[in-house]
Amino acid sequence: MKKDKKNSFNTPEGYFESFHDRLMDRIQQEGAGEKESIIPKTDGFGVPERYFETVVPNILSRTTQEKGKVVPLRPKKYFYYGAAAVAAIFLLIFSGMWNSDMETINFDDLANTEIDTYFDNNSIDMSSYELAEMVSLEDIQLNDILEEDLSGEVILEYLDENVDDLRDLNIEYIDYE
Amino acid sequence: MIAEETLVQELKDKESQAKAFEVLVNTYKERLYWHIRRIVLDHDDADDVLQNTFIKVYRNIDGFKGDSKLYSWMYRIATNESLTFLKQKSKKMGIGDQELKERLVENLEADVYFEGDAIQLKLQKALAELPDKQKLVFTMKYFQEMKYEEISEVLETSVGALKASYHLAVKKIEAYLKAD
Repeated sequence: MKKDKKNSFNTPEGYFESFHDRLMDRIQQEGAGEKESIIPKTDGFGVPERYFETVVPNILSRTTQEKGKVVPLRPKKYFYYGAAAVAAIFLLIFSGMWNSDMETINFDDLANTEIDTYFDNNSIDMSSYELAEMVSLEDIQLNDILEEDLSGEVILEYLDENVDDLRDLNIEYIDYE
Repeated sequence: MIAEETLVQELKDKESQAKAFEVLVNTYKERLYWHIRRIVLDHDDADDVLQNTFIKVYRNIDGFKGDSKLYSWMYRIATNESLTFLKQKSKKMGIGDQELKERLVENLEADVYFEGDAIQLKLQKALAELPDKQKLVFTMKYFQEMKYEEISEVLETSVGALKASYHLAVKKIEAYLKAD
Protein backbone atom coordinates (compact mmCIF):
# COMPACT_ATOMS: atom_id res chain seq x y z
CA MET A 1 0.00 0.00 0.00
CA LYS A 2 1.21 3.46 -0.87
CA LYS A 3 0.22 6.20 1.59
CA ASP A 4 -0.33 9.85 0.80
CA LYS A 5 1.54 11.96 3.33
CA LYS A 6 -1.10 14.71 3.38
CA ASN A 7 -4.20 12.61 3.96
CA SER A 8 -5.27 9.18 5.01
CA PHE A 9 -6.27 7.94 1.51
CA ASN A 10 -4.10 5.33 -0.14
CA THR A 11 -3.96 3.44 -3.42
CA PRO A 12 -3.15 -0.17 -4.36
CA GLU A 13 0.51 -0.97 -4.95
CA GLY A 14 1.68 0.11 -8.40
CA TYR A 15 -1.64 1.90 -9.17
CA PHE A 16 -0.10 4.98 -10.78
CA GLU A 17 2.67 3.04 -12.54
CA SER A 18 0.15 0.84 -14.34
CA PHE A 19 -2.50 3.56 -14.89
CA HIS A 20 -1.30 4.49 -18.38
CA ASP A 21 -1.30 0.88 -19.59
CA ARG A 22 -4.75 0.21 -18.23
CA LEU A 23 -6.09 3.41 -19.78
CA MET A 24 -4.66 2.50 -23.19
CA ASP A 25 -6.15 -1.02 -22.93
CA ARG A 26 -9.56 0.49 -22.27
CA ILE A 27 -9.27 2.92 -25.19
CA GLN A 28 -8.33 0.01 -27.45
CA GLN A 29 -11.23 -2.07 -26.19
CA GLU A 30 -13.68 0.73 -26.80
CA GLY A 31 -12.20 1.29 -30.26
CA ALA A 32 -12.67 -2.41 -31.00
CA GLY A 33 -16.28 -2.12 -29.84
CA GLU A 34 -16.91 0.69 -32.30
CA LYS A 35 -15.43 -1.35 -35.13
CA GLU A 36 -17.99 -4.04 -34.48
CA SER A 37 -20.68 -1.92 -36.15
CA ILE A 38 -22.72 -4.05 -38.49
CA ILE A 39 -22.38 -1.47 -41.26
CA PRO A 40 -19.74 -2.75 -43.72
CA LYS A 41 -16.65 -0.56 -44.10
CA THR A 42 -16.68 -0.71 -47.89
CA ASP A 43 -19.59 -0.56 -50.29
CA GLY A 44 -18.46 -2.96 -53.02
CA PHE A 45 -18.43 -0.64 -56.03
CA GLY A 46 -15.83 -1.25 -58.72
CA VAL A 47 -14.74 0.51 -61.92
CA PRO A 48 -13.54 -0.82 -65.29
CA GLU A 49 -9.81 -1.36 -65.57
CA ARG A 50 -7.83 1.85 -66.27
CA TYR A 51 -11.04 3.91 -66.11
CA PHE A 52 -9.43 6.84 -64.30
CA GLU A 53 -6.70 7.05 -66.92
CA THR A 54 -9.12 7.05 -69.85
CA VAL A 55 -11.64 9.48 -68.42
CA VAL A 56 -9.19 12.41 -68.43
CA PRO A 57 -8.71 12.60 -72.23
CA ASN A 58 -12.49 12.22 -72.66
CA ILE A 59 -13.16 15.25 -70.49
CA LEU A 60 -10.34 17.31 -71.99
CA SER A 61 -11.49 16.54 -75.55
CA ARG A 62 -14.95 17.85 -74.69
CA THR A 63 -13.50 21.16 -73.51
CA THR A 64 -11.42 21.57 -76.67
CA GLN A 65 -14.47 20.78 -78.83
CA GLU A 66 -16.35 23.57 -77.06
CA LYS A 67 -13.44 25.91 -77.60
CA GLY A 68 -13.35 25.33 -81.39
CA LYS A 69 -14.57 28.43 -83.14
CA VAL A 70 -17.20 28.31 -85.85
CA VAL A 71 -16.05 30.17 -88.97
CA PRO A 72 -18.87 32.47 -90.11
CA LEU A 73 -20.18 31.81 -93.60
CA ARG A 74 -20.37 35.54 -94.32
CA PRO A 75 -18.29 38.36 -92.92
CA LYS A 76 -19.62 39.68 -89.61
CA LYS A 77 -20.37 43.23 -90.80
CA TYR A 78 -22.90 41.99 -93.41
CA PHE A 79 -24.66 40.05 -90.70
CA TYR A 80 -24.97 43.20 -88.57
CA TYR A 81 -26.30 45.23 -91.56
CA GLY A 82 -28.92 42.53 -92.21
CA ALA A 83 -29.90 42.32 -88.57
CA ALA A 84 -30.20 46.12 -88.34
CA ALA A 85 -32.42 46.20 -91.45
CA VAL A 86 -34.73 43.49 -90.09
CA ALA A 87 -34.91 45.27 -86.73
CA ALA A 88 -35.79 48.58 -88.47
CA ILE A 89 -38.61 46.91 -90.43
CA PHE A 90 -40.08 45.33 -87.31
CA LEU A 91 -39.82 48.66 -85.48
CA LEU A 92 -41.80 50.38 -88.22
CA ILE A 93 -44.48 47.70 -88.35
CA PHE A 94 -44.99 47.43 -84.61
CA SER A 95 -44.53 51.09 -83.66
CA GLY A 96 -48.18 51.73 -84.59
CA MET A 97 -49.31 48.82 -82.55
CA TRP A 98 -47.29 49.87 -79.52
CA ASN A 99 -49.45 50.10 -76.48
CA SER A 100 -48.21 52.70 -74.04
CA ASP A 101 -49.77 51.07 -71.01
CA MET A 102 -48.25 47.68 -71.76
CA GLU A 103 -47.47 45.90 -68.50
CA THR A 104 -44.27 44.11 -67.63
CA ILE A 105 -44.39 40.36 -67.26
CA ASN A 106 -44.97 39.25 -63.71
CA PHE A 107 -45.28 35.97 -61.81
CA ASP A 108 -48.98 35.58 -62.60
CA ASP A 109 -48.18 35.48 -66.33
CA LEU A 110 -46.25 32.25 -65.95
CA ALA A 111 -48.21 29.24 -67.05
CA ASN A 112 -48.70 26.60 -64.37
CA THR A 113 -47.10 24.03 -66.64
CA GLU A 114 -43.92 26.14 -66.82
CA ILE A 115 -43.77 26.31 -63.03
CA ASP A 116 -44.43 22.57 -62.75
CA THR A 117 -41.68 21.85 -65.29
CA TYR A 118 -39.25 24.05 -63.35
CA PHE A 119 -39.95 22.19 -60.11
CA ASP A 120 -39.70 18.83 -61.90
CA ASN A 121 -36.36 19.61 -63.54
CA ASN A 122 -34.68 21.42 -60.69
CA SER A 123 -33.80 20.01 -57.34
CA ILE A 124 -35.65 22.19 -54.84
CA ASP A 125 -33.99 21.28 -51.61
CA MET A 126 -36.53 22.54 -49.09
CA SER A 127 -37.79 20.80 -46.02
CA SER A 128 -41.51 20.62 -45.36
CA TYR A 129 -40.92 23.05 -42.49
CA GLU A 130 -39.33 25.61 -44.85
CA LEU A 131 -42.18 25.19 -47.32
CA ALA A 132 -44.73 25.63 -44.55
CA GLU A 133 -43.03 28.88 -43.56
CA MET A 134 -43.26 30.20 -47.13
CA VAL A 135 -46.79 29.12 -47.96
CA SER A 136 -49.32 30.63 -45.63
CA LEU A 137 -51.96 28.14 -44.59
CA GLU A 138 -54.51 30.94 -44.53
CA ASP A 139 -54.21 31.32 -48.31
CA ILE A 140 -54.43 27.67 -49.17
CA GLN A 141 -57.06 25.01 -48.83
CA LEU A 142 -56.21 21.34 -48.44
CA ASN A 143 -58.02 20.52 -51.66
CA ASP A 144 -55.82 23.02 -53.58
CA ILE A 145 -52.82 20.72 -53.24
CA LEU A 146 -54.59 17.39 -53.69
CA GLU A 147 -55.33 15.96 -57.10
CA GLU A 148 -58.67 14.63 -55.92
CA ASP A 149 -60.98 16.37 -53.50
CA LEU A 150 -61.27 14.70 -50.15
CA SER A 151 -64.66 14.47 -48.61
CA GLY A 152 -65.05 14.95 -44.87
CA GLU A 153 -66.13 11.33 -44.63
CA VAL A 154 -62.85 10.06 -46.13
CA ILE A 155 -60.80 12.25 -43.78
CA LEU A 156 -62.70 11.01 -40.74
CA GLU A 157 -62.30 7.41 -41.88
CA TYR A 158 -58.52 7.93 -42.29
CA LEU A 159 -58.21 9.52 -38.85
CA ASP A 160 -60.26 6.75 -37.31
CA GLU A 161 -57.98 4.07 -38.75
CA ASN A 162 -54.61 5.80 -38.34
CA VAL A 163 -54.72 8.01 -35.27
CA ASP A 164 -54.91 6.37 -31.86
CA ASP A 165 -55.45 9.51 -29.87
CA LEU A 166 -56.98 12.60 -31.46
CA ARG A 167 -55.01 14.73 -29.00
CA ASP A 168 -51.88 13.79 -31.01
CA LEU A 169 -53.14 16.07 -33.77
CA ASN A 170 -52.76 19.12 -31.53
CA ILE A 171 -56.04 20.54 -32.75
CA GLU A 172 -57.97 22.89 -30.53
CA TYR A 173 -61.37 21.29 -30.11
CA ILE A 174 -64.40 22.04 -28.08
CA ASP A 175 -65.52 19.40 -25.65
CA TYR A 176 -69.28 19.22 -26.04
CA GLU A 177 -69.72 16.77 -23.20
CA MET B 1 0.49 19.75 -54.99
CA ILE B 2 -0.40 23.13 -56.48
CA ALA B 3 -2.02 25.66 -54.11
CA GLU B 4 -5.74 26.13 -54.64
CA GLU B 5 -5.58 29.92 -55.13
CA THR B 6 -2.86 29.53 -57.75
CA LEU B 7 -4.85 26.84 -59.54
CA VAL B 8 -7.98 29.02 -59.62
CA GLN B 9 -5.99 31.95 -61.03
CA GLU B 10 -4.48 29.72 -63.70
CA LEU B 11 -7.92 28.34 -64.57
CA LYS B 12 -9.22 31.85 -65.11
CA ASP B 13 -6.26 32.86 -67.25
CA LYS B 14 -6.82 31.85 -70.91
CA GLU B 15 -3.08 31.26 -71.39
CA SER B 16 -2.71 28.70 -68.61
CA GLN B 17 -6.31 27.42 -68.57
CA ALA B 18 -5.86 24.17 -70.51
CA LYS B 19 -2.91 22.97 -68.43
CA ALA B 20 -4.53 24.01 -65.14
CA PHE B 21 -7.76 22.24 -66.09
CA GLU B 22 -5.86 19.03 -66.72
CA VAL B 23 -4.30 19.34 -63.27
CA LEU B 24 -7.74 19.97 -61.78
CA VAL B 25 -9.26 16.91 -63.48
CA ASN B 26 -6.38 14.70 -62.42
CA THR B 27 -6.55 15.96 -58.84
CA TYR B 28 -10.28 15.57 -58.28
CA LYS B 29 -11.45 12.90 -60.76
CA GLU B 30 -11.42 9.99 -58.31
CA ARG B 31 -12.91 11.81 -55.33
CA LEU B 32 -15.71 13.29 -57.44
CA TYR B 33 -16.31 9.99 -59.23
CA TRP B 34 -16.88 8.10 -55.97
CA HIS B 35 -19.09 10.88 -54.65
CA ILE B 36 -21.22 10.73 -57.81
CA ARG B 37 -21.17 6.94 -58.04
CA ARG B 38 -22.60 6.61 -54.54
CA ILE B 39 -25.53 8.77 -55.59
CA VAL B 40 -26.30 7.36 -59.07
CA LEU B 41 -24.99 3.80 -58.36
CA ASP B 42 -24.43 2.80 -62.01
CA HIS B 43 -20.90 3.20 -63.44
CA ASP B 44 -21.95 4.48 -66.90
CA ASP B 45 -24.27 7.05 -65.31
CA ALA B 46 -21.49 8.10 -62.93
CA ASP B 47 -19.14 8.51 -65.90
CA ASP B 48 -21.67 10.78 -67.69
CA VAL B 49 -22.28 12.87 -64.59
CA LEU B 50 -18.56 13.15 -63.82
CA GLN B 51 -17.84 14.47 -67.31
CA ASN B 52 -20.77 16.90 -67.12
CA THR B 53 -19.56 18.09 -63.73
CA PHE B 54 -16.09 18.92 -65.03
CA ILE B 55 -17.55 20.62 -68.12
CA LYS B 56 -19.73 22.77 -65.83
CA VAL B 57 -16.68 23.62 -63.72
CA TYR B 58 -14.76 24.57 -66.89
CA ARG B 59 -17.58 26.76 -68.20
CA ASN B 60 -18.28 28.49 -64.90
CA ILE B 61 -14.83 28.93 -63.41
CA ASP B 62 -14.93 32.68 -64.17
CA GLY B 63 -17.97 32.92 -61.92
CA PHE B 64 -16.18 31.19 -59.03
CA LYS B 65 -15.73 33.96 -56.47
CA GLY B 66 -13.70 31.98 -53.95
CA ASP B 67 -16.32 32.39 -51.20
CA SER B 68 -15.97 28.68 -50.55
CA LYS B 69 -13.11 26.29 -51.25
CA LEU B 70 -12.75 25.09 -54.84
CA TYR B 71 -13.36 21.44 -53.94
CA SER B 72 -16.54 22.38 -52.00
CA TRP B 73 -17.80 24.24 -55.04
CA MET B 74 -17.01 21.26 -57.28
CA TYR B 75 -18.63 18.81 -54.86
CA ARG B 76 -21.72 21.02 -54.85
CA ILE B 77 -21.86 20.96 -58.65
CA ALA B 78 -21.34 17.17 -58.64
CA THR B 79 -24.12 16.70 -56.07
CA ASN B 80 -26.59 18.88 -57.97
CA GLU B 81 -25.69 17.24 -61.30
CA SER B 82 -26.20 13.77 -59.80
CA LEU B 83 -29.56 14.58 -58.21
CA THR B 84 -30.78 16.32 -61.37
CA PHE B 85 -29.61 13.34 -63.43
CA LEU B 86 -31.67 10.96 -61.27
CA LYS B 87 -34.68 13.24 -61.47
CA GLN B 88 -34.48 13.35 -65.27
CA LYS B 89 -33.94 9.60 -65.43
CA SER B 90 -37.05 8.88 -63.35
CA LYS B 91 -39.03 11.27 -65.54
CA LYS B 92 -37.81 9.58 -68.74
CA MET B 93 -38.73 6.18 -67.32
CA GLY B 94 -42.10 7.49 -66.15
CA ILE B 95 -41.60 6.33 -62.57
CA GLY B 96 -41.31 8.05 -59.20
CA ASP B 97 -38.03 8.95 -57.45
CA GLN B 98 -38.37 6.18 -54.87
CA GLU B 99 -39.18 3.53 -57.47
CA LEU B 100 -36.10 4.57 -59.45
CA LYS B 101 -33.89 4.23 -56.36
CA GLU B 102 -35.25 0.73 -55.74
CA ARG B 103 -34.69 -0.27 -59.37
CA LEU B 104 -31.11 1.04 -59.31
CA VAL B 105 -30.38 -1.13 -56.28
CA GLU B 106 -32.03 -4.15 -57.95
CA ASN B 107 -29.83 -3.59 -61.00
CA LEU B 108 -26.70 -3.81 -58.83
CA GLU B 109 -27.21 -7.56 -58.47
CA ALA B 110 -26.43 -7.99 -62.18
CA ASP B 111 -23.90 -5.13 -62.37
CA VAL B 112 -20.40 -6.32 -63.31
CA TYR B 113 -18.93 -3.28 -61.60
CA PHE B 114 -20.57 -4.05 -58.28
CA GLU B 115 -18.52 -6.54 -56.34
CA GLY B 116 -20.46 -6.28 -53.10
CA ASP B 117 -21.63 -9.25 -51.07
CA ALA B 118 -25.12 -9.79 -49.61
CA ILE B 119 -24.55 -7.39 -46.70
CA GLN B 120 -23.21 -4.65 -49.00
CA LEU B 121 -26.24 -5.08 -51.23
CA LYS B 122 -28.48 -4.85 -48.19
CA LEU B 123 -26.64 -1.67 -47.21
CA GLN B 124 -27.57 -0.17 -50.61
CA LYS B 125 -31.20 -1.13 -50.01
CA ALA B 126 -31.05 0.58 -46.63
CA LEU B 127 -29.50 3.70 -48.20
CA ALA B 128 -32.26 3.80 -50.83
CA GLU B 129 -34.80 4.13 -48.03
CA LEU B 130 -33.15 7.25 -46.61
CA PRO B 131 -34.09 10.82 -47.59
CA ASP B 132 -31.55 12.28 -50.09
CA LYS B 133 -29.87 14.55 -47.59
CA GLN B 134 -29.40 11.85 -44.94
CA LYS B 135 -27.96 9.50 -47.54
CA LEU B 136 -25.56 12.19 -48.74
CA VAL B 137 -24.38 13.02 -45.23
CA PHE B 138 -23.92 9.35 -44.41
CA THR B 139 -21.90 8.46 -47.52
CA MET B 140 -19.76 11.61 -47.30
CA LYS B 141 -18.94 10.96 -43.65
CA TYR B 142 -18.77 7.16 -43.54
CA PHE B 143 -17.24 6.20 -46.90
CA GLN B 144 -15.56 9.40 -48.05
CA GLU B 145 -14.40 10.23 -44.51
CA MET B 146 -15.04 13.94 -44.97
CA LYS B 147 -15.06 16.26 -41.96
CA TYR B 148 -18.36 17.76 -40.87
CA GLU B 149 -16.96 21.23 -41.67
CA GLU B 150 -16.24 20.13 -45.25
CA ILE B 151 -19.68 18.54 -45.67
CA SER B 152 -21.19 21.71 -44.21
CA GLU B 153 -19.60 23.79 -46.99
CA VAL B 154 -20.80 21.43 -49.72
CA LEU B 155 -24.37 20.95 -48.51
CA GLU B 156 -24.66 24.44 -47.01
CA THR B 157 -26.04 22.99 -43.79
CA SER B 158 -24.91 23.64 -40.22
CA VAL B 159 -22.52 21.16 -38.57
CA GLY B 160 -25.10 20.51 -35.83
CA ALA B 161 -27.79 19.58 -38.35
CA LEU B 162 -25.31 17.33 -40.19
CA LYS B 163 -24.38 15.50 -36.98
CA ALA B 164 -28.06 14.90 -36.27
CA SER B 165 -28.64 13.67 -39.85
CA TYR B 166 -25.65 11.33 -39.67
CA HIS B 167 -26.71 9.91 -36.32
CA LEU B 168 -30.25 9.31 -37.61
CA ALA B 169 -28.94 7.70 -40.80
CA VAL B 170 -26.67 5.31 -38.86
CA LYS B 171 -29.55 4.27 -36.59
CA LYS B 172 -31.87 3.65 -39.56
CA ILE B 173 -29.21 1.68 -41.49
CA GLU B 174 -28.30 -0.45 -38.48
CA ALA B 175 -31.97 -1.19 -37.83
CA TYR B 176 -32.45 -2.15 -41.52
CA LEU B 177 -29.36 -4.40 -41.52
CA LYS B 178 -30.42 -6.12 -38.29
CA ALA B 179 -33.91 -6.82 -39.60
CA ASP B 180 -34.40 -10.11 -41.49
